[in-house]
Amino acid sequence: MALRLFKHSLFALGLLAASTTAAFAADKIRWMNDWLPSGDKAAIYLGVEQGFFAEEGIEVEIINGRGSSEVVTRLAAGAADMGTGGLPALLQAKAEQTINVSAVMSIYSMQPDLLILPEGSPIRSLADVEGKTLGTATFSASNVIWPILLRSNDIDPDSVNLVRMDPGALGPMLAAGRVDGTINWITKIPSFAEVMQEAGKDVEVILWSDYGLDGYGLSVLASDRLIQRNPDLVERATRAYSRALALAVENPRLAAEALKAHVPEMDVELAAAEFEASIPLIVNDISDANGIGTFEPELLAKTWEWVARSQELALDALDPTSAIDTRFIAD
Amino acid sequence: MNSQTTSAARSSAAPLQPELTKRKLLVLAWLDRLAPVLAALAVIGVWELICRVFALPNYLLPSPSAIVTSAFALDPGIWLTHTWATLRVSLGGYALAIIIAIPLAVLLANSRLMSRTLYPMLVVIQSTPIVGVAPIIVVLMGAGEMPRIFITFLITFFPIVVSTVTGLMSTPEELKELSRSLGASKAREIRNIQLPFAVPYIFSALRISITLAIIGAVVAEFVAAEKGLGFFIAFSTSFLRIPQAFAALIVLVTLSLLLFQVIALVQRWLFPWSLPKESR
Repeated sequence: MALRLFKHSLFALGLLAASTTAAFAADKIRWMNDWLPSGDKAAIYLGVEQGFFAEEGIEVEIINGRGSSEVVTRLAAGAADMGTGGLPALLQAKAEQTINVSAVMSIYSMQPDLLILPEGSPIRSLADVEGKTLGTATFSASNVIWPILLRSNDIDPDSVNLVRMDPGALGPMLAAGRVDGTINWITKIPSFAEVMQEAGKDVEVILWSDYGLDGYGLSVLASDRLIQRNPDLVERATRAYSRALALAVENPRLAAEALKAHVPEMDVELAAAEFEASIPLIVNDISDANGIGTFEPELLAKTWEWVARSQELALDALDPTSAIDTRFIAD
Repeated sequence: MNSQTTSAARSSAAPLQPELTKRKLLVLAWLDRLAPVLAALAVIGVWELICRVFALPNYLLPSPSAIVTSAFALDPGIWLTHTWATLRVSLGGYALAIIIAIPLAVLLANSRLMSRTLYPMLVVIQSTPIVGVAPIIVVLMGAGEMPRIFITFLITFFPIVVSTVTGLMSTPEELKELSRSLGASKAREIRNIQLPFAVPYIFSALRISITLAIIGAVVAEFVAAEKGLGFFIAFSTSFLRIPQAFAALIVLVTLSLLLFQVIALVQRWLFPWSLPKESR
C-alpha cells in the first residue's frame, strides 16, 4: 500500500514537473539570415549571446539563407519563422503572388548597393561607366535595379558590359584588373579592401543612393502564420532584435565577437569592419527623423516604386503598406 | 692478347652482373611503388614554383605553401566539425542509396513490367540537374540534415541501380534454368545465383557512388547548411579567402580517396572471389 502510494506520488510529481517545464519552456523561433554568416549579420548573434532573446523567453535557431528571395520563400513555406531579408524582394514577391510574409521592422533605411572600384579608377561618377566592364554576382538583386538606375541618370544600360559571375570571383577579378569595377553591397568593402591590398591597390566606391536610389533595404520579416498564431512572440523577438541592433551599432566589436562564438572560423576584425560599414545604412538622417525600425510611408512608397519599375509592374499592383506590420516595432 | 684481356674482363664482371641487376630491379620496384607519390610531389613542386616565379597572388592561384599555412591557421576543431558534418551527410545519402537502389535493381531485373514502368522515371530523375532542384527540396523538406541527405541520395543512387541491374542480367541463362529445374524458389535464385553474379558490378558502382556522395553532400551544403566542407568553401569564398577554400577542397579530395579505398577494402575483405586474381 505504501509502495503504491509512493509510486502514485512519484507519478504525480513527474506530471507536475513536466507541466511546470512546459509552462516555463522558451518559445522557439527559427531565424533565417539572408546570407552566409558575415559581420553585417552579427546583430542576431549578439542578441543570442547577450541573452536578449532568452530574457524574452525565446530560444533562437539561426539558419543561413542564400539570398532574400530564399528567406521570403522559406518563411512563406513555414520552413523558418522570422528572419532578415531585403524589403524589395518581399514587395516583388507579394506583387506577383500570395505570399504570407510581412516586414515587421526596417533595418536599413538606405539602399546598400554600390560600385567598388580600384583606387584611381577612371570611373569618377556613374556617367563614366559607359564603355566599361563591370562584374556582378549572377543572382544579385542589384542587377535588377541597375538598368533602371542608369536610365534614371540618362545612361544607356547597353553601353556597359556587365559580366555575371560567382560572388566569390568578384574580388579576384577586380584585383586582377579583369573588370573595371564590381557591383556590391556596402558591407563587402572591408573584404574587398583586404584582397585589393594584396594587389597593392586600395578601393573607391560610388554609392547608388547618391544617384537617386532610395528606399528601405534589409528588414526583419516574419511569417504571417506566426504573426497570427503568436503575435506576442513576434513582438518579443522584434524587441530583442532591436536591443541587439542598438548594442551592435554602439559596439561593433562585441557583435563580431558574438558572431565568432557561433561561427568560430570568423575573423573578428573583418566582421567588426563589415558591421561598421553597415552602420550608415542603419543610423542616418532618415532614422534620426523617424526612428530606427520604422517604415515611413513616403520612403516605403519610393521603395515600391523602384521595385515596380525594375520589374515592369504596374504601380497599383501592390499597396506597399499591405506588406508591412508595424505593430511590433520597439519604442 | 686482346682476346685474353676481354675474357679476363668478362670473368671479373660475371659475378657483379646478377647483383647489379638485382639492385636495379629493387630500385625499379621502389620506383614503381612510389611513382604515384613522386608524381604528386612533382606536381605540388611545380605548382609552388610557378606561384613563386610568377609571384601569383593568392586570390588568383594560392601556392601549396599558402594553402597549408591557411589550413593550419584554423583550429583543428573547426576542420573536424566541418569534415564530420560532410561525412555524415555523404554516408547518410550513400546508405539510403544502397538500401533503395539494390532492391529496386532486383525488382527491375526480374520484372519486365516494373522495368518498363520505372526505368524511364529513373532516367528522368537522373537527367534532372540536381543543383537546380536542390533549393526546392530544401524548401519542401525544411531545415535539418534530411534535405542534404536526400540530395546526396539523388546524386548517388542511379549508378548503383544501373550497374546492379546490368550485373543481375549478366547471370547465365543456363544457371537460372538449372536452378528452376531443381525447384529453387525465385528468392533463392536471386540470392544464390543472380546477386553473386552482380557483386563485381555492384562494387564498381559503389566505388563510383562514394565519390558522388561527397559531391552530393557539397552541392547540398552549398544550397543550405550551417556546417560542412561545402558550406565552409562558400563561406571562405564569400570573404575572398581563396587559400582557405583550396584547403577545404584538399580535405574533400582526401576524404573522397579514403572512402574509395574503404569500399575497395570491403570488397577485398567480404568478396575476394569477385576481384580479378591479380587484385586479390
